[in-house]
Amino acid sequence: MYIRHTLATLTLALTLHAAPQDDQYVLGPDSQVRADVPQGKVTQMPAWKDSKIFPGTSRDWWIYVPAQYSKDKPAAVMVFCDGGGFVKADGQFRAPVVFDNLIAKGEMPVTIGIFIQPGTFPTSNPNDKARSNRSFEYDSLGDLYARFLLEEILPAVAKDYNLTSNPDERAICGNSSGGICAFTVAWEKPDAFRKVVSHIGSFTNIRGGHVYPALIRKTDKKPIKVFLQDGKNDLDNQFGNWPLANQDMAAALKFAGYDYQFVLGEGTHNGKHGAAMLPDTLRWLWQAGTK
Amino acid sequence: MSPRLLLATLALPLLGSAQDTSLHDYLIDGEGWKEAASGYAFTDGLCTDSTGNLFFTDVKAGKGIYKIDVTTGKTDLFLDNLPGISGLQIGPDGRFYACHNKEQRIIAITLKGEVEVLLTNMKCNDLVVSKKGHLYFTETPTQTIHLITADKKHIAADQGHILKPNGITLSSDERTLVASEHGGKHVWTWQILDDGTLTAGAPFMTMWLPVGKETASGDGATTESKGRYFITTELGIQVFDTAGRLAGIISKPDPMGKVVSCEFAGKDHDLLFVAAGDKIFSRRLKVTGYFGK
Repeated sequence: MYIRHTLATLTLALTLHAAPQDDQYVLGPDSQVRADVPQGKVTQMPAWKDSKIFPGTSRDWWIYVPAQYSKDKPAAVMVFCDGGGFVKADGQFRAPVVFDNLIAKGEMPVTIGIFIQPGTFPTSNPNDKARSNRSFEYDSLGDLYARFLLEEILPAVAKDYNLTSNPDERAICGNSSGGICAFTVAWEKPDAFRKVVSHIGSFTNIRGGHVYPALIRKTDKKPIKVFLQDGKNDLDNQFGNWPLANQDMAAALKFAGYDYQFVLGEGTHNGKHGAAMLPDTLRWLWQAGTK
Repeated sequence: MSPRLLLATLALPLLGSAQDTSLHDYLIDGEGWKEAASGYAFTDGLCTDSTGNLFFTDVKAGKGIYKIDVTTGKTDLFLDNLPGISGLQIGPDGRFYACHNKEQRIIAITLKGEVEVLLTNMKCNDLVVSKKGHLYFTETPTQTIHLITADKKHIAADQGHILKPNGITLSSDERTLVASEHGGKHVWTWQILDDGTLTAGAPFMTMWLPVGKETASGDGATTESKGRYFITTELGIQVFDTAGRLAGIISKPDPMGKVVSCEFAGKDHDLLFVAAGDKIFSRRLKVTGYFGK
């Protein structure tokens, strides 16, 4: 019951908070189901309860397998933080629909999508609100979440599907704290993940993430490709100022010579802009010829 | 559930809570620290009751348990002949539960002063008692979180993970145990199972460090009624929201002094009391405490 509640939370939170500045961003044709396009299959996996990296947590997750997938050829991989909000066919992002349309046009590779919720600590009473481990997992710097993917989730998916081990064909996407989490995964493990999509990313001091621009400027360039979206009306609170932090990230990526793209719109702390752009974002992310 | 409440609930985990946790939203302009008691050596053991009285001890030189009366604001020796208590709380049975540090034992004390010894040979520091009657206490030098269950079984509930565990408190749903590191920078959490035992320990919160130091010197801990955690540290009282994010640091009454224990008391439980060496200070906040109600 809680699990369903969480899923509703994610999608509703993003839509309910929509301000007038966000309403200009609407889904385009590549985010609509098309009868002439083969549809992949979304499967809800049994809740992941045996994490060694995040002991005691339980989380929902889903796998999207495109219709074009063949076990003879390794599929590209894209992970979505707060995956419950991305995976819904009628949700804000409709990632599986976008995947169907882009894969059919050859604008992105045959890609298995892995949509993962943050962990919660369930109790014996289903009426209790389970404590969320989301901030600990997403906002913390360090390699814990990357290791969770590499040591736990990817091997589990690889039991049933032929997944690429080419880091250039592994991407990770998230919103807000999920956005900084996506960046942290690639930053920590560039030999495993090299493509990042962050919408309204929390590169602020929730748990120290405000240091990334400084780190990017003073660290060897990593072979990662980064897409950042934010809105001028995004959050300004005790953790920091989101538009400034994202501009700071973009300036640092530019300074250090990264292959990156930054879109600063008019929106608030809302996924609408990122969702409207998702097809273009994915085309850019997956196009060949990265630096 | 009203639509507005539903909306608030749904929005909370992802976005809604981000804006409402700012320290600036619950400090009151012009309401700074006020001296509540003085003339002691090393105050500690703050706890409250349902009416909002504050109880405390003087670990180094005190005679027993002192009380700041909620109505008069006056301080009196409430229970004599109990020197050296470092952690104190009133349990669900109405008795005090105490880390009797000087005697290295855990005791229960009726309001008339009758003592029951629950456990001996423990270098106990601070404790918390749940509504179910499970008692958790920190043993700082052995890096141990101990549990005395409601039916008086003793269990070493966590050992060797947390660096010098010191302050200890509960989440406002009593499903999570929280303990601060005196010798590190983390505040740890555990899930509390139905039998009171702990699982899923993790360094869920990270305290802000003084410049040039590797430890925050986390000390006393309490919980606010909406579930925020208040931890005394070298820098001040660090406040964390229920997601474990540092919301801010409340300044110490004396910038050069220490704060070792904190608790909400007062008629509306909105006075944050802090043990600061020879004195106790209090400060009115816009939020209220969890304990004693």
